[in-house]
Amino acid sequence: MMTLYRPGTGWLHRMATGPKIILLLLVVLSVSLLPAAWWAALVAAGVSTLAYAVAGLADGMRELVRQIVAVRWIIVIMLAGQLLFLGPEQAISNTSRVVAAVVIAALLVITTQVSALLDAVERGLRPLEWCRVDSQRAALLLTVTLSTIPVLARLAGEVRDAQRARGARASLRFFVVPFLVVALKHADDLGDALAARGVR
Amino acid sequence: MSIRLDNVWVRLGDTDVLRNLTLQVEARTVAVVGENGSGKSTFARLLGGLVTRTAGELAVLGLDPGSRSGELRRRIAVVFSNPDAQIVMPTVAEDVAFSLRADRLSTSELQERVAVALARFGLTALANRPSHDLSGGQKQLLALCGAFVRRPELVIADEPTAYLDARNARRVADHLLEDAGHRLVLVTHDLVLAQRCDVAILFAEGRVTAVGEPAAIVSEYEAMLR
Repeated sequence: MMTLYRPGTGWLHRMATGPKIILLLLVVLSVSLLPAAWWAALVAAGVSTLAYAVAGLADGMRELVRQIVAVRWIIVIMLAGQLLFLGPEQAISNTSRVVAAVVIAALLVITTQVSALLDAVERGLRPLEWCRVDSQRAALLLTVTLSTIPVLARLAGEVRDAQRARGARASLRFFVVPFLVVALKHADDLGDALAARGVR
Repeated sequence: MSIRLDNVWVRLGDTDVLRNLTLQVEARTVAVVGENGSGKSTFARLLGGLVTRTAGELAVLGLDPGSRSGELRRRIAVVFSNPDAQIVMPTVAEDVAFSLRADRLSTSELQERVAVALARFGLTALANRPSHDLSGGQKQLLALCGAFVRRPELVIADEPTAYLDARNARRVADHLLEDAGHRLVLVTHDLVLAQRCDVAILFAEGRVTAVGEPAAIVSEYEAMLR
Protein backbone atom coordinates (compact mmCIF):
# COMPACT_ATOMS: atom_id res chain seq x y z
CA MET A 1 0.00 0.00 0.00
CA MET A 2 1.26 3.45 -0.89
CA THR A 3 1.32 4.82 2.62
CA LEU A 4 3.98 7.30 3.69
CA TYR A 5 1.94 8.52 6.62
CA ARG A 6 3.83 8.69 9.91
CA PRO A 7 1.60 9.01 12.96
CA GLY A 8 2.36 12.16 14.94
CA THR A 9 0.94 15.09 16.89
CA GLY A 10 3.00 18.01 15.47
CA TRP A 11 1.36 21.20 14.19
CA LEU A 12 1.49 20.05 10.58
CA HIS A 13 -0.24 16.79 11.56
CA ARG A 14 -2.98 18.74 13.33
CA MET A 15 -3.43 21.34 10.57
CA ALA A 16 -6.62 21.01 8.46
CA THR A 17 -5.91 19.26 5.15
CA GLY A 18 -7.14 22.05 2.83
CA PRO A 19 -4.99 24.85 4.30
CA LYS A 20 -2.08 22.38 4.56
CA ILE A 21 -2.29 21.63 0.83
CA ILE A 22 -2.32 25.36 0.03
CA LEU A 23 0.60 26.12 2.38
CA LEU A 24 2.77 23.32 0.98
CA LEU A 25 1.77 24.26 -2.57
CA LEU A 26 2.97 27.83 -1.98
CA VAL A 27 6.31 26.62 -0.56
CA VAL A 28 6.78 24.17 -3.45
CA LEU A 29 5.94 26.89 -5.99
CA SER A 30 8.38 29.32 -4.35
CA VAL A 31 11.20 26.79 -4.53
CA SER A 32 10.32 25.80 -8.10
CA LEU A 33 10.43 29.40 -9.32
CA LEU A 34 13.95 30.08 -8.02
CA PRO A 35 16.45 30.95 -10.79
CA ALA A 36 19.09 28.52 -12.05
CA ALA A 37 21.97 29.78 -9.90
CA TRP A 38 24.31 28.44 -7.22
CA TRP A 39 22.61 30.44 -4.46
CA ALA A 40 19.21 29.01 -5.54
CA ALA A 41 20.51 25.47 -4.92
CA LEU A 42 21.53 26.51 -1.40
CA VAL A 43 18.17 28.18 -0.78
CA ALA A 44 16.28 25.06 -2.02
CA ALA A 45 18.35 22.83 0.28
CA GLY A 46 17.89 25.26 3.17
CA VAL A 47 14.10 25.53 2.72
CA SER A 48 13.76 21.71 2.59
CA THR A 49 15.83 21.28 5.75
CA LEU A 50 13.92 24.03 7.52
CA ALA A 51 10.57 22.58 6.46
CA TYR A 52 11.41 19.16 7.95
CA ALA A 53 12.95 20.74 11.05
CA VAL A 54 9.87 22.80 11.93
CA ALA A 55 7.16 20.39 10.69
CA GLY A 56 6.86 18.82 14.13
CA LEU A 57 7.86 15.32 13.00
CA ALA A 58 9.28 12.93 15.59
CA ASP A 59 12.59 12.71 13.70
CA GLY A 60 12.44 15.29 10.92
CA MET A 61 16.03 15.04 9.71
CA ARG A 62 15.94 11.26 9.44
CA GLU A 63 12.67 11.53 7.50
CA LEU A 64 14.26 14.09 5.16
CA VAL A 65 17.17 11.73 4.47
CA ARG A 66 14.69 8.88 3.86
CA GLN A 67 12.81 11.00 1.33
CA ILE A 68 16.01 12.04 -0.47
CA VAL A 69 17.14 8.41 -0.65
CA ALA A 70 13.72 7.51 -2.11
CA VAL A 71 14.29 9.92 -5.03
CA ARG A 72 17.97 9.04 -5.54
CA TRP A 73 17.42 7.82 -9.10
CA ILE A 74 15.69 11.09 -10.05
CA ILE A 75 18.76 12.92 -8.71
CA VAL A 76 21.16 10.70 -10.64
CA ILE A 77 19.26 10.90 -13.94
CA MET A 78 18.64 14.66 -13.73
CA LEU A 79 22.20 15.44 -12.73
CA ALA A 80 23.78 13.21 -15.36
CA GLY A 81 21.67 14.56 -18.22
CA GLN A 82 22.04 18.22 -17.30
CA LEU A 83 25.75 18.03 -16.48
CA LEU A 84 26.30 16.87 -20.05
CA PHE A 85 24.28 19.62 -21.73
CA LEU A 86 23.89 22.57 -19.33
CA GLY A 87 26.96 22.66 -17.10
CA PRO A 88 27.36 22.25 -13.33
CA GLU A 89 25.63 25.42 -12.06
CA GLN A 90 22.35 24.81 -13.90
CA ALA A 91 22.48 21.04 -13.33
CA ILE A 92 22.92 21.34 -9.56
CA SER A 93 20.45 24.22 -9.09
CA ASN A 94 17.75 22.60 -11.26
CA THR A 95 18.16 19.22 -9.54
CA SER A 96 18.11 20.85 -6.10
CA ARG A 97 14.89 22.71 -6.88
CA VAL A 98 13.16 19.61 -8.20
CA VAL A 99 14.29 17.44 -5.26
CA ALA A 100 13.30 20.18 -2.80
CA ALA A 101 9.85 20.43 -4.41
CA VAL A 102 9.36 16.64 -4.22
CA VAL A 103 10.49 16.24 -0.61
CA ILE A 104 8.49 19.27 0.58
CA ALA A 105 5.39 17.94 -1.20
CA ALA A 106 6.00 14.61 0.56
CA LEU A 107 5.29 16.37 3.86
CA LEU A 108 1.63 16.34 2.86
CA VAL A 109 1.38 12.54 2.74
CA ILE A 110 3.75 12.08 5.67
CA THR A 111 1.50 14.16 7.94
CA THR A 112 -1.95 13.42 6.46
CA GLN A 113 -3.91 10.17 6.50
CA VAL A 114 -5.27 9.02 3.15
CA SER A 115 -8.84 9.25 4.47
CA ALA A 116 -8.28 12.97 5.24
CA LEU A 117 -6.81 13.48 1.76
CA LEU A 118 -9.81 11.68 0.31
CA ASP A 119 -12.16 14.05 2.17
CA ALA A 120 -10.15 17.08 1.03
CA VAL A 121 -10.16 15.99 -2.63
CA GLU A 122 -13.89 15.34 -2.38
CA ARG A 123 -14.53 18.80 -0.85
CA GLY A 124 -12.20 20.44 -3.37
CA LEU A 125 -14.00 18.88 -6.33
CA ARG A 126 -17.49 19.60 -5.02
CA PRO A 127 -17.74 23.00 -6.80
CA LEU A 128 -17.25 21.12 -10.07
CA GLU A 129 -20.42 19.09 -9.54
CA TRP A 130 -22.37 21.65 -11.60
CA CYS A 131 -20.49 20.32 -14.65
CA ARG A 132 -21.30 16.71 -13.66
CA VAL A 133 -17.99 15.90 -11.94
CA ASP A 134 -18.86 13.31 -9.28
CA SER A 135 -16.54 14.43 -6.46
CA GLN A 136 -17.16 11.32 -4.34
CA ARG A 137 -16.39 9.01 -7.24
CA ALA A 138 -13.27 10.97 -8.26
CA ALA A 139 -11.88 10.85 -4.70
CA LEU A 140 -12.62 7.13 -4.47
CA LEU A 141 -10.95 6.52 -7.83
CA LEU A 142 -7.80 8.21 -6.53
CA THR A 143 -7.81 6.10 -3.37
CA VAL A 144 -8.45 2.83 -5.15
CA THR A 145 -5.68 3.62 -7.66
CA LEU A 146 -3.19 4.20 -4.86
CA SER A 147 -4.28 1.10 -2.96
CA THR A 148 -4.09 -1.12 -6.04
CA ILE A 149 -0.45 -0.37 -6.93
CA PRO A 150 1.11 -2.66 -4.27
CA VAL A 151 -1.47 -5.39 -4.96
CA LEU A 152 -0.56 -5.38 -8.66
CA ALA A 153 3.14 -5.48 -7.73
CA ARG A 154 2.47 -8.57 -5.58
CA LEU A 155 0.41 -10.21 -8.34
CA ALA A 156 3.23 -9.56 -10.82
CA GLY A 157 5.66 -11.25 -8.40
CA GLU A 158 3.34 -14.25 -8.07
CA VAL A 159 3.04 -14.60 -11.86
CA ARG A 160 6.84 -14.50 -12.22
CA ASP A 161 7.27 -17.04 -9.38
CA ALA A 162 4.71 -19.37 -10.96
CA GLN A 163 6.59 -19.20 -14.28
CA ARG A 164 9.95 -19.85 -12.62
CA ALA A 165 8.44 -22.78 -10.72
CA ARG A 166 7.50 -24.32 -14.08
CA GLY A 167 10.98 -23.77 -15.43
CA ALA A 168 10.09 -20.90 -17.78
CA ARG A 169 12.67 -18.22 -18.52
CA ALA A 170 11.85 -14.56 -17.94
CA SER A 171 9.84 -13.40 -20.95
CA LEU A 172 7.67 -10.31 -21.33
CA ARG A 173 5.42 -12.14 -23.80
CA PHE A 174 4.63 -14.98 -21.39
CA PHE A 175 4.31 -12.58 -18.47
CA VAL A 176 1.80 -10.08 -19.89
CA VAL A 177 -1.15 -12.40 -20.59
CA PRO A 178 -1.34 -14.18 -17.19
CA PHE A 179 -0.64 -10.90 -15.43
CA LEU A 180 -3.52 -9.21 -17.26
CA VAL A 181 -5.81 -12.12 -16.38
CA VAL A 182 -5.05 -11.95 -12.63
CA ALA A 183 -5.16 -8.14 -12.66
CA LEU A 184 -8.61 -8.14 -14.30
CA LYS A 185 -9.79 -10.83 -11.85
CA HIS A 186 -8.58 -8.58 -9.02
CA ALA A 187 -10.45 -5.63 -10.55
CA ASP A 188 -13.65 -7.73 -10.64
CA ASP A 189 -13.21 -8.82 -7.02
CA LEU A 190 -12.46 -5.26 -5.92
CA GLY A 191 -15.56 -3.97 -7.72
CA ASP A 192 -17.69 -6.57 -5.92
CA ALA A 193 -16.08 -5.73 -2.58
CA LEU A 194 -16.71 -2.00 -3.09
CA ALA A 195 -20.32 -2.67 -4.05
CA ALA A 196 -20.68 -4.92 -0.99
CA ARG A 197 -19.34 -2.11 1.21
CA GLY A 198 -22.04 0.25 0.01
CA VAL A 199 -20.14 2.04 -2.80
CA ARG A 200 -22.35 2.54 -5.83
CA MET B 1 -33.24 -15.62 8.14
CA SER B 2 -35.87 -14.45 5.77
CA ILE B 3 -34.52 -15.62 2.44
CA ARG B 4 -37.12 -16.58 -0.10
CA LEU B 5 -36.50 -17.74 -3.66
CA ASP B 6 -39.22 -18.79 -6.06
CA ASN B 7 -38.22 -20.41 -9.36
CA VAL B 8 -35.02 -18.33 -9.56
CA TRP B 9 -32.70 -18.78 -12.52
CA VAL B 10 -29.32 -17.14 -13.07
CA ARG B 11 -27.64 -17.31 -16.46
CA LEU B 12 -24.03 -16.12 -16.85
CA GLY B 13 -22.89 -16.08 -20.48
CA ASP B 14 -24.27 -19.25 -22.05
CA THR B 15 -24.54 -21.19 -18.82
CA ASP B 16 -27.43 -21.52 -16.40
CA VAL B 17 -25.43 -21.27 -13.17
CA LEU B 18 -28.47 -21.43 -10.89
CA ARG B 19 -31.50 -23.42 -12.03
CA ASN B 20 -35.02 -23.14 -10.78
CA LEU B 21 -34.21 -22.45 -7.13
CA THR B 22 -37.22 -22.51 -4.85
CA LEU B 23 -36.32 -22.11 -1.22
CA GLN B 24 -37.44 -20.48 1.99
CA VAL B 25 -35.04 -20.34 4.95
CA GLU B 26 -35.76 -19.09 8.46
CA ALA B 27 -32.65 -19.65 10.60
CA ARG B 28 -29.94 -17.52 12.20
CA THR B 29 -27.00 -19.28 10.56
CA VAL B 30 -27.14 -21.11 7.25
CA ALA B 31 -24.30 -23.13 5.72
CA VAL B 32 -24.12 -23.58 1.95
CA VAL B 33 -22.13 -26.61 0.81
CA GLY B 34 -21.46 -28.32 -2.49
CA GLU B 35 -18.75 -29.10 -5.00
CA ASN B 36 -16.78 -26.48 -6.93
CA GLY B 37 -18.95 -25.08 -9.70
CA SER B 38 -22.18 -26.17 -8.06
CA GLY B 39 -23.48 -22.59 -7.82
CA LYS B 40 -22.78 -21.81 -4.14
CA SER B 41 -20.82 -18.61 -4.75
CA THR B 42 -23.30 -17.37 -7.35
CA PHE B 43 -26.05 -18.01 -4.80
CA ALA B 44 -24.15 -15.90 -2.23
CA ARG B 45 -23.57 -13.13 -4.78
CA LEU B 46 -27.24 -13.26 -5.78
CA LEU B 47 -28.32 -12.73 -2.15
CA GLY B 48 -25.82 -9.87 -1.86
CA GLY B 49 -27.20 -8.15 -4.95
CA LEU B 50 -23.94 -8.66 -6.87
CA VAL B 51 -25.54 -10.91 -9.50
CA THR B 52 -28.95 -10.33 -11.06
CA ARG B 53 -31.39 -13.15 -11.57
CA THR B 54 -32.53 -14.05 -15.04
CA ALA B 55 -35.99 -15.21 -13.91
CA GLY B 56 -38.01 -15.84 -10.75
CA GLU B 57 -38.80 -14.03 -7.53
CA LEU B 58 -36.33 -13.34 -4.73
CA ALA B 59 -36.50 -11.59 -1.35
CA VAL B 60 -33.69 -11.11 1.17
CA LEU B 61 -34.75 -9.57 4.50
CA GLY B 62 -38.02 -8.88 2.72
CA LEU B 63 -36.33 -6.82 -0.03
CA ASP B 64 -35.78 -7.59 -3.70
CA PRO B 65 -31.98 -7.32 -4.35
CA GLY B 66 -32.72 -6.39 -7.95
CA SER B 67 -34.93 -3.35 -7.39
CA ARG B 68 -33.91 -2.30 -3.85
CA SER B 69 -30.19 -3.08 -3.88
CA GLY B 70 -29.22 0.25 -2.26
CA GLU B 71 -31.43 -0.32 0.78
CA LEU B 72 -30.42 -3.97 1.01
CA ARG B 73 -26.70 -3.16 0.93
CA ARG B 74 -27.12 -0.89 3.92
CA ARG B 75 -28.50 -3.86 5.87
CA ILE B 76 -26.17 -6.64 4.73
CA ALA B 77 -22.42 -7.21 4.50
CA VAL B 78 -20.54 -9.55 2.17
CA VAL B 79 -17.19 -11.14 2.99
CA PHE B 80 -15.16 -12.89 0.27
CA SER B 81 -12.39 -15.47 0.41
CA ASN B 82 -9.68 -13.13 -0.90
CA PRO B 83 -9.08 -10.42 1.71
CA ASP B 84 -6.71 -8.46 -0.57
CA ALA B 85 -9.58 -7.48 -2.84
CA GLN B 86 -11.60 -6.21 0.12
CA ILE B 87 -8.99 -3.80 1.46
CA VAL B 88 -9.31 -0.31 0.06
CA MET B 89 -7.54 2.06 2.44
CA PRO B 90 -3.83 2.09 3.32
CA THR B 91 -4.05 1.63 7.08
CA VAL B 92 -6.12 -0.76 9.19
CA ALA B 93 -8.17 1.92 11.00
CA GLU B 94 -8.80 3.88 7.81
CA ASP B 95 -10.01 0.74 6.05
CA VAL B 96 -12.51 0.00 8.80
CA ALA B 97 -13.66 3.65 8.75
CA PHE B 98 -14.14 3.42 4.97
CA SER B 99 -17.16 1.15 5.54
CA LEU B 100 -18.88 3.99 7.40
CA ARG B 101 -18.20 6.75 4.84
CA ALA B 102 -21.72 6.73 3.48
CA ASP B 103 -23.19 7.18 6.99
CA ARG B 104 -21.70 10.70 7.36
CA LEU B 105 -21.02 10.22 11.09
CA SER B 106 -19.37 12.87 13.24
CA THR B 107 -15.61 12.40 13.72
CA SER B 108 -15.99 11.35 17.36
CA GLU B 109 -18.74 8.84 16.59
CA LEU B 110 -16.75 7.47 13.65
CA GLN B 111 -13.64 7.04 15.78
CA GLU B 112 -15.63 5.35 18.53
CA ARG B 113 -17.32 2.91 16.15
CA VAL B 114 -13.95 2.07 14.55
CA ALA B 115 -12.23 1.65 17.93
CA VAL B 116 -14.97 -0.70 19.20
CA ALA B 117 -14.82 -2.77 16.01
CA LEU B 118 -11.00 -2.97 16.07
CA ALA B 119 -11.09 -4.09 19.71
CA ARG B 120 -13.70 -6.76 18.95
CA PHE B 121 -11.51 -8.29 16.25
CA GLY B 122 -8.25 -7.89 18.20
CA LEU B 123 -6.86 -5.35 15.74
CA THR B 124 -6.41 -2.34 18.04
CA ALA B 125 -2.62 -2.70 18.19
CA LEU B 126 -2.51 -2.80 14.38
CA ALA B 127 -4.70 0.29 13.83
CA ASN B 128 -1.97 2.38 12.18
CA ARG B 129 -0.26 -0.50 10.35
CA PRO B 130 -0.36 -0.60 6.52
CA SER B 131 -3.29 -2.90 5.66
CA HIS B 132 -1.47 -4.84 2.96
CA ASP B 133 1.45 -5.66 5.27
CA LEU B 134 -0.78 -7.79 7.48
CA SER B 135 -0.71 -11.60 7.45
CA GLY B 136 -3.48 -13.46 5.59
CA GLY B 137 -5.36 -14.16 8.84
CA GLN B 138 -5.10 -10.56 9.99
CA LYS B 139 -6.30 -9.34 6.57
CA GLN B 140 -9.37 -11.56 6.75
CA LEU B 141 -10.07 -10.33 10.29
CA LEU B 142 -9.77 -6.78 8.90
CA ALA B 143 -12.23 -7.65 6.13
CA LEU B 144 -14.63 -9.01 8.77
CA CYS B 145 -14.08 -5.93 10.91
CA GLY B 146 -14.91 -3.70 7.91
CA ALA B 147 -18.07 -5.71 7.38
CA PHE B 148 -19.23 -5.86 11.00
CA VAL B 149 -18.55 -2.17 11.79
CA ARG B 150 -21.63 -1.39 9.70
CA ARG B 151 -23.73 -3.49 12.11
CA PRO B 152 -25.30 -5.56 9.33
CA GLU B 153 -28.47 -7.57 9.90
CA LEU B 154 -27.21 -10.26 7.55
CA VAL B 155 -23.61 -11.31 6.76
CA ILE B 156 -22.96 -13.30 3.60
CA ALA B 157 -19.55 -14.97 3.72
CA ASP B 158 -18.18 -16.75 0.64
CA GLU B 159 -15.49 -19.20 1.75
CA PRO B 160 -14.03 -16.75 4.28
CA THR B 161 -11.62 -19.33 5.70
CA ALA B 162 -10.35 -20.65 2.35
CA TYR B 163 -6.82 -19.18 2.57
CA LEU B 164 -6.34 -19.43 6.33
CA ASP B 165 -4.47 -21.79 8.63
CA ALA B 166 -6.42 -23.76 11.25
CA ARG B 167 -5.99 -21.21 14.05
CA ASN B 168 -7.00 -18.19 11.94
CA ALA B 169 -9.82 -20.14 10.29
CA ARG B 170 -11.24 -20.91 13.74
CA ARG B 171 -10.94 -17.26 14.84
CA VAL B 172 -12.72 -16.03 11.71
CA ALA B 173 -15.40 -18.73 12.06
CA ASP B 174 -15.97 -17.89 15.74
CA HIS B 175 -16.53 -14.23 14.88
CA LEU B 176 -18.93 -15.11 12.09
CA LEU B 177 -20.92 -17.60 14.14
CA GLU B 178 -21.14 -15.69 17.42
CA ASP B 179 -24.61 -14.34 18.13
CA ALA B 180 -24.01 -10.59 17.80
CA GLY B 181 -27.43 -9.72 16.45
CA HIS B 182 -26.62 -10.67 12.86
CA ARG B 183 -27.70 -13.56 10.69
CA LEU B 184 -25.27 -15.49 8.53
CA VAL B 185 -25.15 -17.25 5.19
CA LEU B 186 -21.84 -19.11 5.07
CA VAL B 187 -20.59 -20.69 1.85
CA THR B 188 -17.93 -23.18 2.83
CA HIS B 189 -16.03 -26.34 1.92
CA ASP B 190 -15.24 -26.86 5.61
CA LEU B 191 -17.78 -29.50 6.60
CA VAL B 192 -16.96 -29.24 10.31
CA LEU B 193 -17.68 -25.52 10.14
CA ALA B 194 -20.90 -26.18 8.20
CA GLN B 195 -22.11 -28.37 11.05
CA ARG B 196 -21.84 -25.44 13.47
CA CYS B 197 -24.66 -23.69 11.58
CA ASP B 198 -28.40 -24.05 12.29
CA VAL B 199 -29.37 -25.13 8.77
CA ALA B 200 -27.42 -26.35 5.74
CA ILE B 201 -28.20 -26.17 2.04
CA LEU B 202 -26.62 -28.60 -0.41
CA PHE B 203 -25.98 -27.45 -3.98
CA ALA B 204 -25.26 -29.65 -6.98
CA GLU B 205 -25.11 -28.55 -10.63
CA GLY B 206 -26.82 -25.23 -9.95
CA ARG B 207 -29.72 -26.71 -8.02
CA VAL B 208 -30.58 -27.07 -4.33
CA THR B 209 -30.66 -30.80 -3.70
CA ALA B 210 -31.26 -30.77 0.06
CA VAL B 211 -32.03 -28.38 2.90
CA GLY B 212 -32.06 -29.33 6.56
CA GLU B 213 -30.15 -30.19 9.69
CA PRO B 214 -26.39 -29.71 8.94
CA ALA B 215 -25.18 -33.12 10.13
CA ALA B 216 -27.69 -34.88 7.86
CA ILE B 217 -26.85 -32.62 4.92
CA VAL B 218 -23.11 -33.17 5.38
CA SER B 219 -23.67 -36.96 5.46
CA GLU B 220 -25.69 -36.71 2.26
CA TYR B 221 -22.95 -34.58 0.64
CA GLU B 222 -20.23 -37.06 1.68
CA ALA B 223 -22.30 -39.92 0.26
CA MET B 224 -22.65 -37.97 -2.98
CA LEU B 225 -18.86 -37.57 -3.18
CA ARG B 226 -18.15 -41.32 -2.83
